[in-house]
Amino acid sequence: MVHLIITRKGQVPSKPDEVLTQQQQQLITADLTSIIVQLISTAGTLLPSVKTIGQFGQFTPKPAAVSPEQQQQQQSNNSMDVEHNYSTTEEHEEHEDGETEHLPPGSYEILQLEKEEILAPHTHFCTICGKGFKRDANLRMHMRGHGDEYKTPAALAKPPTVKEVGSAAEPVIIKRYSCPFSGCKRNKDHKKFQPLKTILCVKNHYKRTHCDKSYVCSRCNTKKFSVMADLKTHEKHCGRDKWLCSCGTTFSRKDKLFGHIALFQGHTPAIPPDETKTVVALAPTDAAAAANKLADGSGLATMDFNSGAQALMDFKSVDDPAGAAAVASCFSPLNFDSCNFVGGFPEFNRQGFDDSEASFSFLLSGGSCNYSSQKTGGES
Amino acid sequence: MSILAVLTEDLLVRVNSRIEDGADRRSWRLVCKEFLRVDSLTRKSLRVLRSEFIFSLLRRFPNVDALDLSACPRVDDGMLTLLLARGAASTTASLRWNLRSLNLSRATNGMSFKGLALIASACSQLEKLDVSYNCRLGDREAAAISGIEGLKELRLDKCLEVTDVGLVKIAVGCQKLEKLSLKWCMEISDLGVNLLSVKCWSLKFLDISYLKVTNESLCSIASLPKLEGLTMVGCPLVNDSGLEFLSRGHSLKEIDISRCEGVSSSGLVSLIRAHCNLMRIIAGYLPELSAALLDSLKLLKNLTTLIINGTQVSETVLQTISSNCKSLIEIGLSKCIGVTNVGILQLVSSHQKLKVLDLTCCGSVTDAAVCAVADSCSSLVRLKLEACYMVTEKGLERLASSCLLLEEVDLTDCSGINDSGLECLSRCSRLVSLKLGLCFTISDKGLSYIAANCSELCELDLYRCTGIGDETLAALSNGCKKLKKLNISYCIEITDRGMKSLGSLGELVDLEMRGLHNVTGVGLAAFAAMSKRLADLDLKHCENIDDSGFWALACYSHNLRQINLSNCNISDVTLCMVMGNLTRLQEAKLVHLANITVEGFELALRACCVRIKKVKMVSELRLLLSSEILEILHAKGCIIRWD
Repeated sequence: MVHLIITRKGQVPSKPDEVLTQQQQQLITADLTSIIVQLISTAGTLLPSVKTIGQFGQFTPKPAAVSPEQQQQQQSNNSMDVEHNYSTTEEHEEHEDGETEHLPPGSYEILQLEKEEILAPHTHFCTICGKGFKRDANLRMHMRGHGDEYKTPAALAKPPTVKEVGSAAEPVIIKRYSCPFSGCKRNKDHKKFQPLKTILCVKNHYKRTHCDKSYVCSRCNTKKFSVMADLKTHEKHCGRDKWLCSCGTTFSRKDKLFGHIALFQGHTPAIPPDETKTVVALAPTDAAAAANKLADGSGLATMDFNSGAQALMDFKSVDDPAGAAAVASCFSPLNFDSCNFVGGFPEFNRQGFDDSEASFSFLLSGGSCNYSSQKTGGES
Repeated sequence: MSILAVLTEDLLVRVNSRIEDGADRRSWRLVCKEFLRVDSLTRKSLRVLRSEFIFSLLRRFPNVDALDLSACPRVDDGMLTLLLARGAASTTASLRWNLRSLNLSRATNGMSFKGLALIASACSQLEKLDVSYNCRLGDREAAAISGIEGLKELRLDKCLEVTDVGLVKIAVGCQKLEKLSLKWCMEISDLGVNLLSVKCWSLKFLDISYLKVTNESLCSIASLPKLEGLTMVGCPLVNDSGLEFLSRGHSLKEIDISRCEGVSSSGLVSLIRAHCNLMRIIAGYLPELSAALLDSLKLLKNLTTLIINGTQVSETVLQTISSNCKSLIEIGLSKCIGVTNVGILQLVSSHQKLKVLDLTCCGSVTDAAVCAVADSCSSLVRLKLEACYMVTEKGLERLASSCLLLEEVDLTDCSGINDSGLECLSRCSRLVSLKLGLCFTISDKGLSYIAANCSELCELDLYRCTGIGDETLAALSNGCKKLKKLNISYCIEITDRGMKSLGSLGELVDLEMRGLHNVTGVGLAAFAAMSKRLADLDLKHCENIDDSGFWALACYSHNLRQINLSNCNISDVTLCMVMGNLTRLQEAKLVHLANITVEGFELALRACCVRIKKVKMVSELRLLLSSEILEILHAKGCIIRWD
């Protein structure tokens, strides 16, 4: 390309110098920038290979493991490579100097998986079609679809497990795992290296310690977890603390709450706010319903009753600051003051207006005449 | 000329302050305007019967600081708001400032934490609050009560839904609490009592009767530095070790451990040895009184009350008590086994200052014992001889001649009493309460003496005294004008004439007249028309009273609060009238009413559903009444008892 540009420059002397040279300069700069961009991109593609070379140093030298690493970086198909990885690591006996608590150094094998391997959801891959599975057992089931040779009991059986307390038949290799995160106490390069026992342990440890917590508890909206199983365990116990102190601390047991209150001045148990109150709210509506029923029931003097009730209802609607459980009796004092019942009326009438809902003394209103008309005999 | 020219207002106030009886105060008010004014200004406590009169009453008595609303039919949040809220009438402004004591016992269930919170914020001077027997009062209400910082006395008897949480809230909020009653608050446990003991340092009197607390609570209670009185009747989980814990505490003055199954003499002994200032010991139903216990009584120099009901005693026991206790004023030996004349003789011989003696069901007691009591204890005020059937007029004669201060005498089921005995007893002109139930041998003659001489009589029980007739009632209406409570049940000789004469007893509040077959509607109507103050009426089995009588009740007996109409011949309409028109009616027993239909019950219940608190009916009605009315009643807080 550079040669092309130089030749182009040489080819155009005849045109007016200023304008054309500007155009040519622009062209040239454009070409140059494009060349530079291409250079950078190709350099970038070469970089991963540089990385692998660097990471090689961390690994115990395993010539066979180079190619799987590179392919894993691209994250395209991890199928047989991972399997290979395992098989190759298992074949080689590695001795590593490290500090352990229970096992003397050198008596066990240390394996370290890569971060991507740990975080990958599927760890078992079909060699034929590349489908991924979380469990080896699921993979074996899937393999049945690939041909009859996989339906044999031998193929379906679990691969023989390695036990620590082993028989003399096979040499039992104890495997422990290291966390790839540098600086972590579970990393084999750490001074106080504490290995992890299984791959699941590695996974959980890595997610809990070195990943951010993406699952949030829906109940308390506070606790966050990186491992789904941890979240599920938390949800079993979340929100169970019904013993609440006025300072906001919750307790799972009553005696714990009381012990806390005994220690501090001014703390009291708090009643959870989600209790419902239904009794009080029912009262006015029930009274009204009862009043209506009553009016229907006694055909005798519905008019009088309604007028009495009406008078009180008006006052009720005007003065209603109380709100809850407003029953007529509490308004009758106001009734008295404004209706001026004090003087002049016989005692029966006065009593009659005390209850709006249920007083039959309207039948007796007007004094003894009504009374004697109701009774068949007897004295008044 | 005004009386104030002679007696200054100051003097009038002093005189008025010594008048306690309600009737007397009423007469004072009627004298003249100055007297009325003095009474109005000095009145401190008010017991309101109806909520609609509160405002006018408060206007009249501006210096009231103790308000009793327990008899008011409908006490609820709305009413409290009207009474205490900031925007309320000016008459209540002084109430907010002054109120020191408030009684909301047995209020309806319309009162909730909102009303109580209003009380807490409005009445800053409140020191005494009684919310007992509000069965639905719970922790939210307790939280509202804890806002009353100056509270000194609180009664939470039978507030069934208060739990430890509510109790602790009160303990933390009301630091000055001195008197607390948690009787029947069954949800309270050791945890609550423990925290109460930690937080309420000023507590002086505590009642934990019937609670399911254990010895742990007693251990905590022992740490209360100022505790003077502890009442723990019927605590099933407490035993002698718990009482030993109590021994470590501050010196108690009063202890009541009646009916605690696990408690025996040894527990009481350890208590007595530690608390030498005990003044009152109430220890009913101990299994037995050990020698050590009796011996330890010597240590108590200040013991004035010893009540050891329901236990085994003997002559030596009584003698030992007599010699070890020198200053007893009250002795209770009700239902004790082994009380004999000799024992009583020895007991009273050293107790000249004895005022109260309870010998209920001590059947071996005869006139000799009564004479011994009469000879020694001339200051005797209260004497209970129920079921002491061997006591006759001889004993009473001696009694009346020396114990002229007697105010209360109980001679129920004393079949040896006759008219001459009553004649002798009538010499005790200070008698206030006389019980003569089941005394078949007395008649109008004997009662006439009582009626003539005992003008202070307020309570008279003539249950099943079949010899009593109309003349007694006539005599009573003339002579015992202060009579408030009368029981003439099954005195079948009584007719309408007697009932009419009862009408002139202006102070009569409580009348029980079961099974009076000779009383008809005429008599009842005559009585009802005149008896204005009647609040409690029991007419069970008065089968010959017809509707006219009940109509009169409905018209005239406006103060009626409780009525028992079981087994009466009342009709639908009349029942409805009674339930509907008596606006103070709160409790009604309506069992076995033959003439009432289901619709009649429905209507009657609807008529009173707003204010009725307790109803008793036959259980068959439970299925026949509409669910609507039952729901309404339940929502209002009414308790229905199904017979």
